[in-house]
Amino acid sequence: MKFIENIGEVLISIFSNIGKFILFILFFFKYLFRPKFYLKNNIRYFISIFISSIPIIALTGIFSGMVLALQSYTGFSRFSAESAIPNIVVLTLTRELGPVLTGLMISARVGSSIAAEIATMRVTEQIDALKTLNTNYYNYLVTPRVLSLTLALPVFVTLVDFIGVMGGYIVSVHKLGFNDNLYLLNTIDFLSLNDYLSGIFKAFAFGFIISIVSCYCGLFSDKGAFGVGTATTNAVVISSILILSSNYFLTELFF
Amino acid sequence: MKIEIKNLKKRFNENFVLKDISLTIEKNKSTIILGQSGCGKSVLIKTIYQLFKFDSGSILYEGKSEVDIDKFSMLFQYGALFDSLKISENIAFTDFINNKTNYERKVISLMHDVGLDKSIIDKHPSEISGGMKKRVALARALYKNPKVIFLDEPTTGLDPINSDKINELILKVITKKKITAVTITHDIKSAIKTGDHYYFIDRGIVQDKGDCKKILKTKNKIFKSFISGADIKQ
Repeated sequence: MKFIENIGEVLISIFSNIGKFILFILFFFKYLFRPKFYLKNNIRYFISIFISSIPIIALTGIFSGMVLALQSYTGFSRFSAESAIPNIVVLTLTRELGPVLTGLMISARVGSSIAAEIATMRVTEQIDALKTLNTNYYNYLVTPRVLSLTLALPVFVTLVDFIGVMGGYIVSVHKLGFNDNLYLLNTIDFLSLNDYLSGIFKAFAFGFIISIVSCYCGLFSDKGAFGVGTATTNAVVISSILILSSNYFLTELFF
Repeated sequence: MKIEIKNLKKRFNENFVLKDISLTIEKNKSTIILGQSGCGKSVLIKTIYQLFKFDSGSILYEGKSEVDIDKFSMLFQYGALFDSLKISENIAFTDFINNKTNYERKVISLMHDVGLDKSIIDKHPSEISGGMKKRVALARALYKNPKVIFLDEPTTGLDPINSDKINELILKVITKKKITAVTITHDIKSAIKTGDHYYFIDRGIVQDKGDCKKILKTKNKIFKSFISGADIKQ
């Protein structure tokens, strides 16, 4: 009997959290369209996540492109299809690896920091202080973070795409002996606008997922240092799972 | 502002934190809420402030159930200062986030009132001491000229000398500005020094009430044992 009670408790907790999360998203949109818009706060936040994320984004892009070129060569050389390497590198990066890897890296870098910061604010009563100062925390905390990250991720993905292609180019030309002009021509000729846009669309979706999940985990964290730690872990784990699972459905949409 | 609370009940899940609270906060007086940790003092003042909804009972502000909470202000237990903002931005928070720029004179004047040197105006909360943080938090609470100020354990974490200074400061400020004050504390000395009326809460109900100057003459057994536990010589 106790076992069934425990299962019931877990299920109730899961569904109540899902319900709370959906309400949280609805409230976000409510206050987004009836805003008290703190423009300075929004711009400041956008710049801060942009600057702090660039090194990680650059490293993700360059190494992904380099590895992709090497691995593609290993497979394609077995049936003399090495010439397809530029096409594979650019296609895989723009449609798949660019948005997914960027999403995962940003979830670890920015999502965790959003959750930890907001959870700490909750633990130290700063969220209550905002309320006493007549400041809506959706407008002051949630909107800037969600808007900034949703708008920043497509820019990050574009950078990863570009740097990744350059990584593939460096390995292909300097290690695998490709003709440099031919490599770039193949890349540009093969890439269609639709390939790029499908990745950008995913980037918008992933940016929204990371930021809204991280804000939620922070705002509804438990008290104490343990609560902050759990909120941070949950933000990264839930964002990553949602990125990977929604990626399939978004890919099907553009298939 | 006079606030009357009748039969207030508040629970979290199945746990009743406030079981049946009735009390009156008199206008321009200093009311002290005493009680052990976890007895629901903070929940009570946050409910009065409308940060929490209550389950049953009533709260009347000057006889009305609705109130503009802009007339209220709160000093939080650990200050609750915003780490990423400077001291001046913390004190003038609402003006700062609404892009107003002419708040510096008012900030300096308030800093002077709470005994802070203006040299720290551009520092961040992490760069100042615990006592200074309390003063900054008090200045922030006073910035919007409140009619009622709620003080959640204002001397927590301070040494006896700084506690006395903060108590004197609070007394001076609320008297000078004619503010209704509601203070949570478990420090009997502070209650006697800064309060007019007290309410002692235990297990979610008011166990004792009276004049702060007569706290040590209480006949309530639970309150007596609380006082002796607080190491006050009678």
